[in-house]
Amino acid sequence: MEIDKVPALKKLTRDLKIKPRKMTWEDIVTHPYLWLLPSLILMFIVTFIPIVELFITSFSRVSLAGVRHEITGFENYVAVSSKPTFYMVLKNTLIWTVAVVGFSTILSLGIAILLNQKFIGRRLVRAALIVPWAVSLIITSAIWKWILDYNYGTLNYLLSKFNLINENIYWLASPSLSFPLMIWVGIFVTLPFTSFVILSGLQTISNDLYEAASIDGADGWKRFFFITLPLIKQPLTVSVVLNTIYVFNSFPIIWTITQGDPVNQTDTVITYLYKLAFQTNKMGEAAAVSVISFLLLLAFTIVYVSIVLRRER
Amino acid sequence: MVHPSRIQKGLTLLAAYFLVVVLLFPYVVMLVTALKSRSEVYSIPPTFFPREWTVSNFLEIWTVIPLSTYIWNTILIATGSTLLTLFCAIPAAYVLSRRQFVGKRAYMYLVLITQMFSPIVLLVGLFRVIQWLGLMDSIWGLVLVNAAFTQAFAIWLLTGYFSTIPRELEQAAWIDGCSKLKTLVKIVLPLATPGIITTVIFVFIMAWNEFVVALTIISSDVSRPLTVGIYAFFGKYDVQWQYLFATSLVATIPVIILFLAIEKYLVSGLTAGGVKD
Repeated sequence: MEIDKVPALKKLTRDLKIKPRKMTWEDIVTHPYLWLLPSLILMFIVTFIPIVELFITSFSRVSLAGVRHEITGFENYVAVSSKPTFYMVLKNTLIWTVAVVGFSTILSLGIAILLNQKFIGRRLVRAALIVPWAVSLIITSAIWKWILDYNYGTLNYLLSKFNLINENIYWLASPSLSFPLMIWVGIFVTLPFTSFVILSGLQTISNDLYEAASIDGADGWKRFFFITLPLIKQPLTVSVVLNTIYVFNSFPIIWTITQGDPVNQTDTVITYLYKLAFQTNKMGEAAAVSVISFLLLLAFTIVYVSIVLRRER
Repeated sequence: MVHPSRIQKGLTLLAAYFLVVVLLFPYVVMLVTALKSRSEVYSIPPTFFPREWTVSNFLEIWTVIPLSTYIWNTILIATGSTLLTLFCAIPAAYVLSRRQFVGKRAYMYLVLITQMFSPIVLLVGLFRVIQWLGLMDSIWGLVLVNAAFTQAFAIWLLTGYFSTIPRELEQAAWIDGCSKLKTLVKIVLPLATPGIITTVIFVFIMAWNEFVVALTIISSDVSRPLTVGIYAFFGKYDVQWQYLFATSLVATIPVIILFLAIEKYLVSGLTAGGVKD
């Protein structure tokens, strides 16, 4: 409470000759800015400076040894955008992100609804759902690479054992098979997080709403579209935005399973820029690709969040 | 969910158990492969369950790669990252949930924007900064990077948790003459324990599993973490699958135990994070 704003108190302080409180040691120690300082310093060093450095590098000439020379304007951007590979990689990234986020959101919605019901063994299902989340992406990707192996892989073995195929299939040789399979691995590892976020939303919905709706004659689908979906819009938005960022930035799955082969046909922007930077030492071009990726993500987030917010009003 | 019929209940169970099979299938494959000898892994026709069960892979991995060094590095990296994250995120989350001040919105947007970057998009810039700081090939460089990239998440989660703790409790402590710092340590932090545990485990696991930055800045065995270390089993022409999976199991079991430990906080933790101030 501000003493000055209450006339009676103001008079009282004047009469008693109480001086307004000075800034004490405690005030300084508990000042909000001081408390934000550690996280600000950390983010400044590890996020802000690299961003600035990235932008400068993207507009500079960089030697093969990685030494940054003079600013050359859009040279790196021109070099990157003149390669047909770049557009193929962009297209792959779009397919990868939309497919993984889209399918995993739909499947997770089903899983969350399943887990929101009471049944025997629910704890087991929830525990199983945690496993792909907890295991390192590198490890999960390596297991799938092994399962899909041509000669010794588990998938070919099981399919031939049940006489579903006569000859082993080269799952990972051509992009038309390997890319969808990597999308599946992407979905597989995205399911846990998404399901738990949606489940957290489902648990806030009161069962009374469903009771009331069914008395009014709403069937299962109607209850889903008119009660469940509108009420979990917030967690759904959170999971779509976060997943898009995570999936777009995903590296280990593709790096482990195909490494973008054959000839960049299964690369996404992220694995492509890693190769540019650390395998062919084109730091300038890699920086340009990074900046483009960041701008794409930023555009997506702004558009998506503003659409969702507008609908809310 | 209103009054599920018998058939609906049966379908629910069927779907649930099918899901368990799909989710665990790859990890069962990992386990059985880790229990096979190399010759059986590379045998035609292949087997699913080992003809001869062997634990020799679990014994040999300690000598074929410097596994104990890798594990120790990973523990140091994950612990260091978690401590640094908490040290920076707890005070920030606390003032964000309790105080009004100029620049609060700006700060929250800043945090949100850092969430959009992944280390890999910034890798070219990050590489430079790590070089300038003289932290190339050092696990402390990884600690710094991990802590920075988990800030957004930790602040988001903790702010949500702190908001659920009634302010009256703190005010009562202040009236009793408890200083603000002491109130935070004695009243608020103990009440926020579930939130802090959730944050700790999330950050710990993220740091435990981090791969890209470690792959880029670590070059010597002495500072290599597990995730990069197991890459040694990917040879140019063949992969030592039996070792790879045995090592992976050793690396994974602690993480799964940690995750199962917070399972019951998981849903409430994510809900609390979504609470608006």
